[in-house]
Amino acid sequence: MTTSESTQQPRGQEHERVYLHPVPVRIWHWVNALGFLLLILTGFQIRYVDLFSLMSFETAVHLHNWVGFAVIANWFLWFFYYISSDKITNYHADLNASNFFKRYFDQAQYYSFGIFMGEKRPHNVNPHDKFNPMQKLTYQFVMFITAPITFFTGLMMWDVARFQGLINMVGGIRVVNTIHVLMFILFVFFIFLHAYMGMLGLKPSSHYKEMFTGWEEPHE
Amino acid sequence: MKTGTKVGILLVAIALLGMAPAIGMADHHEEVSNPDLKCLKCHSKNLKKKLEDGEKMSLRIEVEEFGSSVHKVIGCTGCHRDVAKGKHPSKQPIASRRAYSLKHNQTCSQCHEAAHESYIGSVHASMVEHGDDSAPLCSDCHSAHAIQSRVAYEPADGEPCSRCHTEINEAFAQSIHGLARSEGNLIRGDHVQAPSCTGCHNAHDISAVTDTDYLVPTCISCHEVAELAHEQWLPNAGMHLKSVGCAACHSPQAELRVDLQLYDRLRQAPVRQNENNGTVQETLAAIDTNGDGLDPVELWQLVRQINDQEEASDITLLGRLEVTNSVDAHRLAASTEAVRSCESCHRSDAEPFQNVTVSMSRKDGRKESFKADRKVLASAMSVDSVGGFYAPGGTRIKLLDGLLVLAILGGLAVPVVHITLGKVLRKKKENGNG
Repeated sequence: MTTSESTQQPRGQEHERVYLHPVPVRIWHWVNALGFLLLILTGFQIRYVDLFSLMSFETAVHLHNWVGFAVIANWFLWFFYYISSDKITNYHADLNASNFFKRYFDQAQYYSFGIFMGEKRPHNVNPHDKFNPMQKLTYQFVMFITAPITFFTGLMMWDVARFQGLINMVGGIRVVNTIHVLMFILFVFFIFLHAYMGMLGLKPSSHYKEMFTGWEEPHE
Repeated sequence: MKTGTKVGILLVAIALLGMAPAIGMADHHEEVSNPDLKCLKCHSKNLKKKLEDGEKMSLRIEVEEFGSSVHKVIGCTGCHRDVAKGKHPSKQPIASRRAYSLKHNQTCSQCHEAAHESYIGSVHASMVEHGDDSAPLCSDCHSAHAIQSRVAYEPADGEPCSRCHTEINEAFAQSIHGLARSEGNLIRGDHVQAPSCTGCHNAHDISAVTDTDYLVPTCISCHEVAELAHEQWLPNAGMHLKSVGCAACHSPQAELRVDLQLYDRLRQAPVRQNENNGTVQETLAAIDTNGDGLDPVELWQLVRQINDQEEASDITLLGRLEVTNSVDAHRLAASTEAVRSCESCHRSDAEPFQNVTVSMSRKDGRKESFKADRKVLASAMSVDSVGGFYAPGGTRIKLLDGLLVLAILGGLAVPVVHITLGKVLRKKKENGNG
């Protein structure tokens, strides 16, 4: 994989393409995407059983639990891949805060104005720095804070009796559930945003295609 | 037959008939010892003693009852040790029938020490201690002079418990347990040992249900596979067995409620009424000033107040889905009739969540409930106060529903606004270029 991951110019193409998303990352991404959609769907069914009935409450709970475990296992796939790879730099925090937030502001300005005016994108991707500052902060928050909190609270609710001591330390099952639902709400918002931002490539399908092939699509 | 012979037989028959009552009495008298017969010489008559409360207490002892009692072997003075020659009949005043029975509780304890020790820790003894005259004493269950052996207290008709717990006994008689007992301990053709009252509640160390694990371990002690059977289909089976009373599902016709019990997590025991917090009604009514049931803010104040009153405490509300009354708790049906639909409890409009109470244990350990507004289960204010109870879907917090709607609207608004902005800017650019 190492050779195919390197920056190279595929034959017959003028635009230099970069191999951004290795196979493990792509597998993780799409399993995660499917998992989160199922978790959101079953989460809705569990929470709003009086409003709609796509499946029985019992089925929704069992499915939610199984998919939850799959997503947790999938997170570890992502974690161990990055921790054992030089690509972990993608998630490194920029220790120069003023520089980071200047670039963050530039990126926000690009999304809200420059992108429509045909300006050059402020962040150039490479396999070790593929996220722009807005993406980096969001993914750091999602992968290191929101997702683990959701996993822990979900695990506690999966078997309340088993984790009763831990639940009491947190403040009770209602507190645990409230945190879990707040994370669920954030993920619902994130999914909308993520799906839309994925359409902001040269073509609406460009970034989606990248997540299947691994190769960066032409961007300007 | 000669006439003389006939007359002779007739006279013998008349003589025998005339002696019959005496023979019968003699039978019972033979079972009673001689010293006791001396007592019964007077106490088989309609003697009465005027008590200080004005009641005239009968001193008559039924010879037949005493003769068939297990206590006949110890005789009258076995219990009435204060009766001595020359000092009887005693001039000692007796305040009331209840006071006299209460005094003899101690008499029983002299021989039945273990049973008395068990009784002392019971809810019945606790009621006695706190002045409840309806609480049973030894003689209320065992009688004063017609005391029977242990096996006599296991009949299907619920005696002696049914004397006070009449409605419960009627419900029990129609339950799967009661029917099995009346049909020779058979359930669906299988021989079982269905419990009587004492089978679940014990004979003397009867606890207030609120001070126990609501008898769930008692049910499981016979229904050994119940935990495993629930785990096979019921998500979070352990939690359900802890937070949902067995009868809530296994007494399918019962009216249900959510009871939020004030509980001290440090002591791991329900909060009991004491000198600091006054009576349950006083404590709760003082907070629910408008008398319409505790609302979320009042409930939060209640938990805070009790926390402040109790030294070294960590008060919370433990929620429990249970049958509304103890009669329904005994109306247990066959397992095939049990409620199995999750939706029956996990809908926000489900029956149990419309009927919410807050409870505290009285001094005698029995639970006393106070009405609460059903909004307490769906309020953000309850995240802290009702931290120990949550039924997904059923008791969801409305504020979070609002946030979810905002997240969806926001998630849809971002693309719409961004696309619109793009169109406006591109048009502006085109116009500028033009």
